[in-house]
Amino acid sequence: MSSAPVSTSSPVDAPPDTVVHVDDLSISYAAGRRDVPVVRGVSFSIRPGRALGLVGESGSGKSTVARTLLAHLRRGSRIVGGRVTVAGSDVFALGDRERRALRGGTAALVAQNAGQALTPSMRVGRQLREALESHGLPGGHERVLELVRHVRLPDPETIVERYPHQLSGGQQQRIAIAMAIAARPRLLVLDEPTTALDVVTQAAVLELVRDLSVELEMAILLVSHDLGVVSAMADEIAVMRDGVIVEHRQTAELFADPQHEYTRELLASAPRTSATGLSAERGGGRASAPPPPLVTAADLVVRYARSLPPAVDAVSFAIGAQETLAVVGESGSGKSTLATAMAGLIPAESGTFTFRGDDGIEGDLTRPVARRSLDLRRSVQLVFQNADTSLNPRRTVGAAIARPLRLFTGSTSPDRVAELLEEVGLTPDFASRLPAQLSGGQRQRVGIARALAAGPELIIADEITTALDVRVQAGVLDLLTDLRDEKGLGCLFISHDLAVVRGVADRVAVMTGGRFVEIGSTEDVFSGPNHPYTRQLLDATLDPGTTVLRGVDDTTRTWRDADGWDDLGDGHRIRRWESA
Amino acid sequence: MTRSTTDATGAALNAGPGGLPGRIRGVATSLTSSLSGSAALTIGLGLIAVHVVLAVLAPWIAGHDPVATDSTVALTGSTWTHWLGTDQYGRDILSRTLNGGRYALLVTFLATTIAVGIGTVLGCITAYADNWFDEVVMRIVDALLAVPSILALLVVVTVFDSGLWVIVLAVTVVYAPAVTRVVRGAARTIITQDYVTAARARGEKPLSIVFREILPNVMDVVLVEYAMRASWIVLLISTLSFLGFGANPPTPDWGLMVQENRTALTVAPLGALAPIVALATLVIGLNLSADGLSKSLGIDRAQKGAVS
Repeated sequence: MSSAPVSTSSPVDAPPDTVVHVDDLSISYAAGRRDVPVVRGVSFSIRPGRALGLVGESGSGKSTVARTLLAHLRRGSRIVGGRVTVAGSDVFALGDRERRALRGGTAALVAQNAGQALTPSMRVGRQLREALESHGLPGGHERVLELVRHVRLPDPETIVERYPHQLSGGQQQRIAIAMAIAARPRLLVLDEPTTALDVVTQAAVLELVRDLSVELEMAILLVSHDLGVVSAMADEIAVMRDGVIVEHRQTAELFADPQHEYTRELLASAPRTSATGLSAERGGGRASAPPPPLVTAADLVVRYARSLPPAVDAVSFAIGAQETLAVVGESGSGKSTLATAMAGLIPAESGTFTFRGDDGIEGDLTRPVARRSLDLRRSVQLVFQNADTSLNPRRTVGAAIARPLRLFTGSTSPDRVAELLEEVGLTPDFASRLPAQLSGGQRQRVGIARALAAGPELIIADEITTALDVRVQAGVLDLLTDLRDEKGLGCLFISHDLAVVRGVADRVAVMTGGRFVEIGSTEDVFSGPNHPYTRQLLDATLDPGTTVLRGVDDTTRTWRDADGWDDLGDGHRIRRWESA
Repeated sequence: MTRSTTDATGAALNAGPGGLPGRIRGVATSLTSSLSGSAALTIGLGLIAVHVVLAVLAPWIAGHDPVATDSTVALTGSTWTHWLGTDQYGRDILSRTLNGGRYALLVTFLATTIAVGIGTVLGCITAYADNWFDEVVMRIVDALLAVPSILALLVVVTVFDSGLWVIVLAVTVVYAPAVTRVVRGAARTIITQDYVTAARARGEKPLSIVFREILPNVMDVVLVEYAMRASWIVLLISTLSFLGFGANPPTPDWGLMVQENRTALTVAPLGALAPIVALATLVIGLNLSADGLSKSLGIDRAQKGAVS
């Protein structure tokens, strides 16, 4: 392992040109009477204007390390050994006053969820002024506006008058960044800064941070589970696992030639938009003999309330048996509403939406679930985004799976439950566990097993891997693909992530503002030509190994809808548009 | 430690998905783990247990008939035959206090169980219904909450006399609305969870969703509510008796005892103090339990989450 560029010598004084110097840091956490080590012997340093990416799965200790740079330790944990030096001083030896000066002054943090980092009852401008004044800087109106301009928000005068809830997620994150850079810190710690954002917004925010770091000569520590984000942003990458840095190298080198086995595994499981293989050959085989569609929707309109614009607006598509249709779009595009309507949880307003199964089960999917026949309910099953909340915490896994078995097949046996658990890659003894005793990936598998218990023909998968680590995500996606092939299931796969879609979908529909703008086979959509919105999504998606950020503008829309569709053949259709 | 606890819970639940004995064992396991974690809960439940044991064994340990009068020994201090002395009619205060506990505990247990039971079911149902039924029930609840509890009870007792069941039902009517409101609030957060959506998407019947998915997940709120309401109800019933609207003399009742012996406070202070101490310890026990339960149930959940 050609590891740590930082040698373990230089125990007292950090090299003069580094902002951050972490030396052999070990942290343990007291759980009951035991001490659990969470970070072991971590060392790195960052120079001004440079960015270090810290990558790892949840629980790898990456956030714990990042927060020590602000002299923050989770309650119950303590430093076992080593030191953290920021701007020349050992942060854990600082007094209260100096520590306050460090936080927000010398080192600033941008947290994952900007919506929660901003005070909801205070205007954005006032929060920025506080950020300035708390570090003894003049907080004049001009200075605040300058900060807002610095993070490239349009129309600063109106932005500062708004409350956080009146801003979009991306705007909130920009304000959080503006607050962080208010006192001209020498170090910016970004903890999963874009995880909650759409791809397009993510790309724009990352570009902003990148430019700011160069402009203000800041050292950057970027914590993320997303290899794409890290590769685009960081000069060096440190891969963490179980509290240890297993590999630490220049970004390009790491992607070109990963040394550690774990790094290779991580890279292999990361989905890419440029990937080829699996879906290509499948798509080809399918085109020759198109099966009759399982679900057909025509001019489907779904609306939450009469006074609101439709969440799904005149959408038409078909899903064949054994086919996965992926619907991609940013949050608020109506893709989840489409899934909810298909599951019968909100009735469709107009249009036709029919289900026609293999064994003669037919049904009208515009009806709410209470008015659907048992067979139809059995045939269409839903898997949820958040496996944490989709299982009743008070019921065992076995009970969760047994319930639909009893409801739809009339009988339930421990053997059948065990069989289903094995089908999704778990062992029968999971039946007696409670959801809290399972990991995220295991819970999602239980969610799939519960859907399978009904014996469905169509599965609706609503962002099912969003909350999972890459390796776990790869496992769940493989499972879904296998099940589709073995059981001949149709699947509506909802996702905001084009890279994930590439690996699983036969066909892709791109949705924005409640409408489809493009639909076609996965190959066609990824190879183009595309609708400008699809193009924007593709450009914004960061594959692991991309080291350049393509300039993506998330503020202005360059097109508007026109009438009709262009058919590019082979079922690849693009909505007509004109430049705006 | 947390892992072993939850594993034990899991093992207990192994008895079969949804098997009742298994579930009871699971609850017992989580209760012991809560007890070891909270001093307040241990002391609180300890106090309640002492009261229950004394109430159950009262006839055997009291030594005297609580209503037998003996004018030769009226208003003695504490003696070898009457440990806590006697009241103005020569009745044994220890025996009356112990037997008074039976009455207090019985009424409290019945009234709290019925009030919390009704409130819980109604709260879950209205939260899930979220339609005209919800509106109607909640407006009735609002109306009932607007009536001062002690006034309502006084009216009921005056009209229907003060039998055990009259008091129990009157207390139920007074407290069930408050429980309904609290449980409805808790249930509404549960309803937004995906497992409830999953049950709806399966086409489960509304009542099945309420009892399988929602009710088990508001049980922690309900438990805390139970302990808290119980302490209020004990006080309320004693207040009624003190005012002369509750138990009729010569029934041994704490509120009634305080009322009867208050004039003799300077001569035989134990006559009023003994029931006061009894009442206070029971209320403190219930309050500590409520406090401990709410803490340990909250922490319990967080810890279970942290295991994953």
